[in-house]
Amino acid sequence: MAPAENHEAAAVARPALSDYLRWSVDHKIIGVQYGVAAFLFFIVGGAMAMLIRLELWTPALDLMVSGSAYNSLFTMHGTIMIFLFIIPMWAAFGNFVVPLQLGAKDMAFPWLNAFAFWLIPPAAVVVLLGYFVNPAEAGWTAYPPLSTLFSGDGQTLWALGAHLLGISSIMGSINFIVTILNMRPPQMTLWRMPLLCWAVLATSIIAVMATPFLAGALTLLLLDRVAGTTFFDAAGGGDVLLWQNIFWFYSHPAVYIMVLPGMGVLSEVLSVHSRKPVFGYRMVGLSSMGIAFVGFTVWAHHMFTSLQPELRIPFMITTMIIAVPTGIKMFSWLGTIWGGKIRFTSAMLFALGFMSMFVIGGITGVMLAALPFDIHVHDTYFVVSHFHFVLFGGSVFAIYAALYHWFPKITGRMMNERLGKIHFLFTYFGFLFTFFPMHIVGMLGMPRRVAVYVPEFQLWNQVISFSAFVLGFSTFIVIYNVIRSYYRGPIAGANPWRALTLEWATTSPPPPTNFDDDPIPYEDPYGYGTEAAAVYLAVVERAFDGDSSGR
Amino acid sequence: MAQVTAQQLPSAAHAEHEHSHLSEEEQNNNLKLGVWLYLASEIVIFSIMIVGYVILRINEEEVVAQAHEQLGVGLVTANTFVLLASSYFMVMGLRAMQRGNRAGMLRWIGATALGGIVFLIGQYIEYSELSHLGIVLGFDAASQWSTLGMRFYAPTFFHGAHVFVGVVWALEVLRRGAQGRYDNNPIGIEMFGLYWHFVDVVWIMLFTLIYLV
Repeated sequence: MAPAENHEAAAVARPALSDYLRWSVDHKIIGVQYGVAAFLFFIVGGAMAMLIRLELWTPALDLMVSGSAYNSLFTMHGTIMIFLFIIPMWAAFGNFVVPLQLGAKDMAFPWLNAFAFWLIPPAAVVVLLGYFVNPAEAGWTAYPPLSTLFSGDGQTLWALGAHLLGISSIMGSINFIVTILNMRPPQMTLWRMPLLCWAVLATSIIAVMATPFLAGALTLLLLDRVAGTTFFDAAGGGDVLLWQNIFWFYSHPAVYIMVLPGMGVLSEVLSVHSRKPVFGYRMVGLSSMGIAFVGFTVWAHHMFTSLQPELRIPFMITTMIIAVPTGIKMFSWLGTIWGGKIRFTSAMLFALGFMSMFVIGGITGVMLAALPFDIHVHDTYFVVSHFHFVLFGGSVFAIYAALYHWFPKITGRMMNERLGKIHFLFTYFGFLFTFFPMHIVGMLGMPRRVAVYVPEFQLWNQVISFSAFVLGFSTFIVIYNVIRSYYRGPIAGANPWRALTLEWATTSPPPPTNFDDDPIPYEDPYGYGTEAAAVYLAVVERAFDGDSSGR
Repeated sequence: MAQVTAQQLPSAAHAEHEHSHLSEEEQNNNLKLGVWLYLASEIVIFSIMIVGYVILRINEEEVVAQAHEQLGVGLVTANTFVLLASSYFMVMGLRAMQRGNRAGMLRWIGATALGGIVFLIGQYIEYSELSHLGIVLGFDAASQWSTLGMRFYAPTFFHGAHVFVGVVWALEVLRRGAQGRYDNNPIGIEMFGLYWHFVDVVWIMLFTLIYLV
């Protein structure tokens, strides 16, 4: 009956691969669509990173035909990684996992959900079309006058594409908020929600409130570019800093859009794979909300060098305050794994990797918040290092942890753990030796966004480039693992990690309606290590795996 | 030993998915929250453009004072009245439908759409008068209005675009209403009403800020 790919037939029918290429309103299909599309963009953006590192192998301009070509390279790298990889990738896991964790049968607005996803491919095409004219080269931050007076038509396309992606993000976030607030079955109270749901809720509130600022700023930028207005041109009565203010009022909260879901993933993975309740569950949920709120008060720390001096200290203080809710999470994670029965699965390794890297990125974040230090390292590789520690060491490690953790649920098959560990080793050390030395060259004064540098930095840059290639190679391991495991991985069963949250209380992959009735959540989503939890897990196991010869 | 049951096959799944799992009340609640969140995000975009104007109003008081002196507010006041009236029609339309009066609803929502169209025509007339006076969108160093144009047109045109979308939405409400789709559940009219009142409120802000003070 089932189209068996090999002799050990899958326990549950999976959607055909062609289902993923069509319009679908099933949140699980859409989740995979987001995930695969985002990963493709990760490969494109990663290839650009490799070209950047190749160019920086020597101090001279040799690989690129011009400085402009290099400018557009790092502009596109940043744009793709942020708007087309990390943000959609969280929409992928949010889509697949959150309704299941809530015990809902779908998202609140299935059609809107699909529409939000299908805006992404055309938006990507619009951004990349820039390569046929003059690609954008003002950096992903697109500061005027670079982005208005000194850029080609590619910058207009860039702004249009970013606009579309912003609309997609707003629609997706409205959907998440309504789903999380309105679609829970009666027993799933807010304080029983898994922490990933809390994180996605906080993220979505940020996205709905912050992304329109980007939309407004992009509208004015487009008018300046095509309609002859001078909103950002001081010569025409405009204000150059207006862009920076509005852009960062969006983009600083947006860095939490990029990392908060990852923090939610951490709480899930660390708790499940160390068999311990989350330490301080309520505080962790509230700290997500705290980050969402404080995140709106720190934007001008991106503009310390151009800010009125009297405004610098207040922003320095708020920036340091935001380390508090982040610290709450870090200590919660440490408290969670403390004394637990840790299983070093690939998911767990990446989660632990996140903790070590994010701490470094967080500490350099506080260093950069300190005004005197920031003025010194402003626009150097120290900053590049800082945000890669939080965006790659943070977000991407969490994405990998989420992939290894939920792949069995998504596909019904386990990933290969051995390959997973090899992947982790390459990623961890490749990452560390790529980005840690950037702190040093940054403090020595190497500016970012420049293809040509003084020869004394060459050795460091070669270390960085070599490690970056190792990091790039690690991606092939996980791609191979995913494809191989999709076809040949061992059958996962409903609940391979013996987790208590609801996404595991249904088949892998779940049936199209997720659950037969409203599922009843276990009283504590992370109540591991008790008799009652063991009984609950045994019931789930019997219901789905013990005797699956029909109903 | 593992088997696949018919319900779990994707084809069966798709058929089942055509129908929502939610009750009408649940769907209505979801829609309301969704539209409120959408309007919240709209407020942000409008505020950016409004702030752009406020900065000009503070920095170049004489330009704004001159503009106020030379330009009357007669047309735009009439226009404002039309838009406010259309909001009232909107309320009456929803109330008619809630009382099961489909014909009444169609009349009132039709009047709402008409109000929107009249407003847009008024805005077009106003824009063409202003452009004759040399108030244009793009920057023109020779004009005394060089800094006013963009800050005036951006918010008002953005608002006009919302009125246009509202008119199209009203026509769609009329089409569906004529088919009797709101007879038992007027939520669609209510959602359009939320949007239309929002557009109205934004105009009251813009009118006060740009034309009166």
